[in-house]
Amino acid sequence: MKKGIIFSIEEFGINDGPGIRTVIFLKGCPLRCVWCHNPESISFEPQYLEKKSGRSLCGYSVDATELAQKMLKNKIIFEMGNGGVTLSGGEPLAQPGFTAEFLEQVAPVHRVVETSGMAPASVFREIVGLTDLTLIDVKQMNPEKHRQYTGASNRQILENIGWLCASGKPFVARIPLIPGVNDDDENLQAIQAMFKGVPSLQRIELMPYNKFAGAKYPMLGREYNPPFDLQSLHVTTDIFKNNNINAIVL
Amino acid sequence: MNQRLAALRELIMDKQYRTCRRSLEELGIDRLNETFAKQGLSPVERVTACLETLFEKETPVILPGERIVFTRTVDQVPELFTEQEWAEIRGKHYLHERGYVCNISPDYETTIRKGLAARKQEVIDKLNTKGNDAEAVEFLQSVKRSIEAIQRLIERYALEQGENETAAVLRRIKTDGAKTLHEALQLLRILHYALWASGNYHNTLGRFDQYIYPYYQGDIQSGRLTPEEAFDLVEEFFLVCNKDSDLYPGMQQGDNGQSLVLGGRSASGEYLFNDLSKDCLRASYELNMIDPKINIRVDKDTPMEVYEMGSELTKIGLGFPQYSNDDVVIPGLIRKGYAEEDAHNYVVAACWEFIIPKVAMDIPNIDGLSLIACVQNSVAKLQDCPDFQTFMQVVEAEIKSRFEAICAKHKNLWMIPAPVMSLLMDGTIERGRDISLGAKYNNYGIHGTGIASAVDSLAAIKKYYFEEKTFSADELQDALKTNFEGYAELRDRLRNQAPKMGQDDDFADAIAVDLLARFDQVLQGGVNERGGIYRAGTGTAMYYVWHATPLGATPDGRDAGEFIPANYSPSLFIRQQGPVSVIKSFTKPDLQRVINGGPLTLEFDQSIFKSKENVSKLATLVQIYILLGGHQLQLNTVSREKLLDAKKHPENYRNLIVRVWGWSGYFVELDECYQDHVLNRISFRV
Repeated sequence: MKKGIIFSIEEFGINDGPGIRTVIFLKGCPLRCVWCHNPESISFEPQYLEKKSGRSLCGYSVDATELAQKMLKNKIIFEMGNGGVTLSGGEPLAQPGFTAEFLEQVAPVHRVVETSGMAPASVFREIVGLTDLTLIDVKQMNPEKHRQYTGASNRQILENIGWLCASGKPFVARIPLIPGVNDDDENLQAIQAMFKGVPSLQRIELMPYNKFAGAKYPMLGREYNPPFDLQSLHVTTDIFKNNNINAIVL
Repeated sequence: MNQRLAALRELIMDKQYRTCRRSLEELGIDRLNETFAKQGLSPVERVTACLETLFEKETPVILPGERIVFTRTVDQVPELFTEQEWAEIRGKHYLHERGYVCNISPDYETTIRKGLAARKQEVIDKLNTKGNDAEAVEFLQSVKRSIEAIQRLIERYALEQGENETAAVLRRIKTDGAKTLHEALQLLRILHYALWASGNYHNTLGRFDQYIYPYYQGDIQSGRLTPEEAFDLVEEFFLVCNKDSDLYPGMQQGDNGQSLVLGGRSASGEYLFNDLSKDCLRASYELNMIDPKINIRVDKDTPMEVYEMGSELTKIGLGFPQYSNDDVVIPGLIRKGYAEEDAHNYVVAACWEFIIPKVAMDIPNIDGLSLIACVQNSVAKLQDCPDFQTFMQVVEAEIKSRFEAICAKHKNLWMIPAPVMSLLMDGTIERGRDISLGAKYNNYGIHGTGIASAVDSLAAIKKYYFEEKTFSADELQDALKTNFEGYAELRDRLRNQAPKMGQDDDFADAIAVDLLARFDQVLQGGVNERGGIYRAGTGTAMYYVWHATPLGATPDGRDAGEFIPANYSPSLFIRQQGPVSVIKSFTKPDLQRVINGGPLTLEFDQSIFKSKENVSKLATLVQIYILLGGHQLQLNTVSREKLLDAKKHPENYRNLIVRVWGWSGYFVELDECYQDHVLNRISFRV
């Protein structure tokens, strides 16, 4: 009977896990990434978006069990489509009670959680234990730069990733490539070194920064001022492929 | 695509060859009808004389590098009757569209195999038998003369060629049946072209990958052609279908009915998607041109590979392939009285109607019946209905009365005789009767239009009037009459809050199940004057404009004059939850009962085709629609034109979703600069 706050349910979400999936976006995130393209996902409170068609409320409360039952209506579709449900955000691990209850209730369906890894170890381990596949973000290996661009240290995140690698639970690592922030060889090499030889890593997905990222800021009455040069993005999978790590660009 | 075809494609795209075209006035044949009238020629004599004249006036045009020839140079088919004669015909008869036989599936296979000389001999033999009445003799003579006219044109093209491979091919097929792929495709081109020149239209190509396959396979197995050489010929055939297609407009340019069907399963369960089917998809993908339009027959056992190849083609934004589901269509046709072997051989007509090659003179698009108008009209009787079931009976009675009016309209049908089409249909020579008079099947199809609007209207009435009693019958009637003037709140409830078809909501979907069953039930009573039955369908054709414009406001909150959705698709203004909900809703009705056809249409942004993995996901979605019992599916990728129109008329495009990055947005809600970005991106096709 745990309540959670979400802001969107997307059928046929094609970029967040395998097969035919429904992606549920949870509202609220502990990080403040300067490149965030979903600014409405940051606050844990419902908020108004000012759109051309008028004002609309973003974010609503749902019951974990009811949401799971709604998803179970499509169980047969998910089975036919080798897919399932994905919790994304925001940060699903920032609403651990809701997330855990939902994952338990929806269990016969293939479950994916997409997380920044920014959560206490106990929460991280519990939730990963309830998933069939984890999509873990890896942004910046350098703690200072990480703090500079996301507002938080990466200590907790790296500890969780370390546990994930050792756990044997299948996962995909996703790197949002931001020009001048984390697309340098040094960072990618460090990421590569962390994952090299980890058998439960399915692949690395590079997500190049896109200039549409700022589209939603005006709807929240905010300005988008990314402190980096949009033109100079460096995208390569070579560093990974040269080390026998499967990597693709999304 | 090899260099020869790439160059030929450029030539055709560039349209220079069209300067060879001559008008009827220039050729002095614009008043054939007056001559015919003076000579007192019968209709079939006129058709035949007209074809002979047209072919004499044709100038052979051979484009550089062409191996499959025939380019139309006379840009019109002359009128057969004077205005006065037409007035007389119209006074006595019902005419379907332009009066010509159209939208049926010819049997090219038999003539390609036997050859024109053998077919002519069949006609002569029949003429030499006793017991032919005058009508039979006149008809058979016309078929014979038509064959001879085709042969003379082939001869002229052969002479024009000089001494080369194509000339040799032409000389052989002037009399003989095809022995090679080149001969088969050349003969098919001429036969297809002879239909167009006879005034017949919406001339489909049928099961191309089945009847051409023996020649394709034969040439490859004997080593006469390499698989790549065989592919080149197939691709050239596809290419030349685009040469004259601008002369064949239907309701709109492009509506020319040059469709074909790939794959399927035989009555014995044999899987028929072959290497030629694959080549067809590849040719269409490489050419990126609108003809021929491709349908794929699939069923629950169709391998994912077929859906993936289809989705690759969807990616380039041509709006095809369209899929049809054998598991639904075949039993549906059998249910309607088609023999099992005929049902298994079904093809798709110009748009989506399921028809039978060779043996059916069906008119699958004879009329449209507006289901939404039936609901709207029934609202006047709301006071008399104690419950929703009674109201549904009122709606059914309205459907019945409109259906009866449609049936009454179709009395004394007359069609212009069609000797060439007759040659390409089963049994006409044995019967000594023109195909326009009928065949083994003479069924008529009725498009049921505005299905989703009708269902949404019924759902709103059920919920708010019968269950929650939030408004009175008077209020609803007045609101609709005044186009919601002073009823903003009521309109908002009906339009934005009521349950809708397409949201996987059983409340609305159960009504859809009921409505389509009743539609089919009403039609089951009908027998047309040719002894055929009526088939219910889910297509709309142009009726989605024709039926919407005069329609006042409706109980789904739709304003007066606002469009109704095309074919079997959700209302234009519902906020969709996504394609999975749409597919689930739209597969709940028993679609075997609406076997006249009409696809669910799903639209996707180009960006979903970014990776092969995503193309596979789309293929899986198509497969799920089929597995859930969908009958027909068509997919669009969002086009630049559409987005530009969406900018101008955002009210018509509320559900147009574009992928912006990592999130999907409603196009009309984006700031202009982002809209322009998306537009820019779309113009550079993936």
